[in-house]
Amino acid sequence: MVSLEFHDPSGAIEVKQPHASRIATLAGKRIGFVSNEQWQAYRMLPRLKALLEADFPGIEVLPIDAFPQGNAVIGSEETASLVKASGVDAVIIGNAA
Amino acid sequence: MTNAVAGVGLAPDAAMVTFPIEMFLPGSDISPVETRKREFYDGLTRWRSALARDGAGEAPMICVQGTSVENAFARANHLMLANRWGDGLPLWPPTRERVDWILGGAAQPRGRGLGTFPPRGGVTTVESCAIALAMAGGRPEYLPVLVAAVGAFLDAASGSEQLQAASGSAFPVVIVNGPIGAQIRLNAGFGCLGPDPQRPAGASIGRALRLLQQNLGGALPGIGTMANYGGMRYTNVVFAEDEANLPAGWTPHGTERHGFAPGASSISLAFANGVTNIRRRGAKKETPEEDALQGMHRMADFMRVPNMPGLAGYERGTPGILMIPGVVAQTMAGLGWTKASIREFLWEHSRIPAEQLRRAGCPAWIEIDASKVTRESLALDPWPITASPDNFMIVVAGGGHPTNSYWLQGYSPGVVGRPIERPSSFERLLADAERDLGPR
Repeated sequence: MVSLEFHDPSGAIEVKQPHASRIATLAGKRIGFVSNEQWQAYRMLPRLKALLEADFPGIEVLPIDAFPQGNAVIGSEETASLVKASGVDAVIIGNAA
Repeated sequence: MTNAVAGVGLAPDAAMVTFPIEMFLPGSDISPVETRKREFYDGLTRWRSALARDGAGEAPMICVQGTSVENAFARANHLMLANRWGDGLPLWPPTRERVDWILGGAAQPRGRGLGTFPPRGGVTTVESCAIALAMAGGRPEYLPVLVAAVGAFLDAASGSEQLQAASGSAFPVVIVNGPIGAQIRLNAGFGCLGPDPQRPAGASIGRALRLLQQNLGGALPGIGTMANYGGMRYTNVVFAEDEANLPAGWTPHGTERHGFAPGASSISLAFANGVTNIRRRGAKKETPEEDALQGMHRMADFMRVPNMPGLAGYERGTPGILMIPGVVAQTMAGLGWTKASIREFLWEHSRIPAEQLRRAGCPAWIEIDASKVTRESLALDPWPITASPDNFMIVVAGGGHPTNSYWLQGYSPGVVGRPIERPSSFERLLADAERDLGPR
């Protein structure tokens, strides 16, 4: 038999931080949306907002446009700071395709 | 999405609710948002990453066995395809011996970090480049160009983080200036964007860059890159400017765009999303002046198109790269044209009437652009396809024949230059190449 040993070309990934912990329940929580306004987000995210408000007592879902919208701005540090300052317990980001 | 998540330092995993593409189209049925609402709720409350913490470190070694050298080589190739490390063409397995040989062309230590490859965030080193170049059939004297190109690619100003995943099929274009082009047999003449057995450097370097985009960056078709078509992606585009045929007074591209000293070896990296051959010369009894002017108008006509991805480079990038053969450049220079006056002409004559922009729905794209300069350009009629004539890239390259020029349509938020560093052993590597590749 002939052996051929070679490098794995996929390299390594450096994990620098854990994912955000999940919340125990949505009832009574404050939820935000960060929208890129693409891929029917203008229809789908309001539908999801209405579903959340109907299904969980005491939930507060911020308006879809509470934070800057659009691909050019949703990944910025400024947007992240606004989300943190808003005091939301969780955030939903959409849409990607 | 998992690539993007990994690229910001999280485990390559995310709480996502995925739907078929049809739901994201205009007029779609969005009722699945309601029928699958529980998945959204679980993503906020119950989801846990399934991936254990990973760490940066040396790439592990893989071992295959075969009944013969040929069989082991074939099995290695099958394994690389199964692991999604290949491009469908035969690969050299990056054995320790071959990678060490390639690293003979390194001007930096093998472990020197160059950054992380977006969007997946694969840790990128000089050794990573050597592994990819080994797989792509490269040689050690090509490594300095690849390392410089990777440095430019990973510069945030290039826009690579977005373009790696985007649907617009962007591919990197690497233009080399300085003596290293001729030294490593990087083609600047006939067929310079295609295969050439006597000048194979561009194919290997570009293929290695593509393998890095895929293997470290995660740009797999339909998974990490949503490029509809992915043209030019087997080898990307890597060529040298034909400096030997630059007219007197014309400045090399690397000097003009990036300020590198004339005679210095450097690369310039931009992104393009299309390639067009333009028959520029006349067919009858044109005077030299008529032939030049008609050819210029024909080139501008090819550029006068609503290339909305090109908005990404409207302010600081480029609308595209125009390649003109040395013989044409010499003729035009004799008539008084310079690179600057060609740019001015193209900028003025590629403008699009506002009415044509409106009927094609372009204002909506311009209005949502992140650049204020781009948004404000909507007030201009006719609308210039780029903010400044200086953004056009004019490069002298191509075979010594006057008929055609070539337009690489831009999708390039920036144009990034890098000097090329060569190892002290470079002359010996060139001598080895002369021996291996035969007479020029």
